[in-house]
Amino acid sequence: MISPVKRHEITLTVNGIEHQLSVASHKTLLELLRDQLGLTETKYGCGTGECGACTVLVEEPIQPGIKRLQPVLKRNAINSCLTLAVTMNSRSIITAAGLEQDGELHPVQQAFIDEAAIQCGYCTPGMVLKSVSLLEKNPNPSEAEIREGLEGNICRCTGYAKIVKAVQAASTSMVQYAGGEE
Amino acid sequence: MSSRILTEFDLLVPRDIPEALEILGSYREQVTTVAGGTDLLVAMKSGYRTPYAMSLAALPDLDYLSFHEKLGDENQGLRIGARTTVAQLLESEVVKECYPALWQAAKVFATSQIKNTATVVGNLLRGSPAGDCSCAVYALGGELLLASLGSERLVSVDDLWIAYGETACAANELALELRLPPPVKTSIFKRLTRTHEDLAKLNVAVNLTMDGDICRDVRLVMGCVGPTLMRLKKSEALLRNQRINDDVLTQVMECVREEITPIDDKRSTADYRRQVAGIFLKRAILQACEQA
Repeated sequence: MISPVKRHEITLTVNGIEHQLSVASHKTLLELLRDQLGLTETKYGCGTGECGACTVLVEEPIQPGIKRLQPVLKRNAINSCLTLAVTMNSRSIITAAGLEQDGELHPVQQAFIDEAAIQCGYCTPGMVLKSVSLLEKNPNPSEAEIREGLEGNICRCTGYAKIVKAVQAASTSMVQYAGGEE
Repeated sequence: MSSRILTEFDLLVPRDIPEALEILGSYREQVTTVAGGTDLLVAMKSGYRTPYAMSLAALPDLDYLSFHEKLGDENQGLRIGARTTVAQLLESEVVKECYPALWQAAKVFATSQIKNTATVVGNLLRGSPAGDCSCAVYALGGELLLASLGSERLVSVDDLWIAYGETACAANELALELRLPPPVKTSIFKRLTRTHEDLAKLNVAVNLTMDGDICRDVRLVMGCVGPTLMRLKKSEALLRNQRINDDVLTQVMECVREEITPIDDKRSTADYRRQVAGIFLKRAILQACEQA
């Protein structure tokens, strides 16, 4: 039988870079990202899964035998403060810093800037990631769907109006972008 | 106590079910089983602890939803694996079509981040009187498959919740699968909250078997009105083999107020819960009737 241990060796891919890590059993994914890897874009808010500041995206592995039309993996938003780091062994995650591609901001990031949907900025990384996963699953959300989708992300500055606007703007630009590529 | 820090514990990450059962058999009460962990980690951050924790993260093939449609098949119904998340329920057309109460509970369950991590079976085993998926499952009826070294047993959801936070799953047992009966289309789940993502002040699930406008069978479950989720058996008896009309519903509304045992807590008062329980249940029954 395996023995209980205080540390585990794991492999974790963060923003496309694979890390071999020795992680203490009781550390959360958030602590691993911030304290061990120094990736401070993922924020600590409440520690209890209510505010969404610690949101990261987890790429779901493609199941063998299932054909997918798009090469993009399914990406689920989770609270890194409620995830034991060790349980993320061999998974791949994306933080806010991993959204840009070839130096270009992700359309959601750009829309947050254009619409001034940022005040203090603390909720922004989580808010942007959750918006990305929302738009990947539902490219044309209604205002109600955006508000429902962002229920798990609390902002104490903006009153949400500009954030909702930014997600709507991102939705429009992403649909145009996808349309232009075909 | 700070909500920031998990104090040290040893973690076991078994790679298959026999290994997990061996761990539970050896460490019993000393080990806490973590599936999604969305509730447990919060509890652990505020002081709950055992020397060891065991994560189900590396157990293969437990994150399924499998539906057996064939009439008369002894396996007929829906099977939900131990690691199946609430988000998976929401994505399932079968759950939406055939088990509407469960789909509705998944829909209003916490936030999408939590839905992506929290497991359905974990919600049952938390033993909370406010559990949304648990409330719906109780009304739908079903069984939980519990395994221990060398044996397996099925526990009916009717016998699952013993006291607040306490279930029939023993310290050496691992819940492998939830089995729901054949489709229960006339079912509904509703809840009252201050804001949408809150825990419930009151929740209710109704499962009706109608024959024309006569109610042949019914399961009524209410949450947040006692130490465990509560089957409303006296109210059920008033409905069984009756035509559902205003008279019967008025009797049910009176009855449910007597049947429940709510308390004051930070989400609501006993008085308020007693006040709204009747009308809330009546609306749920009428809504379920519309589906029939």
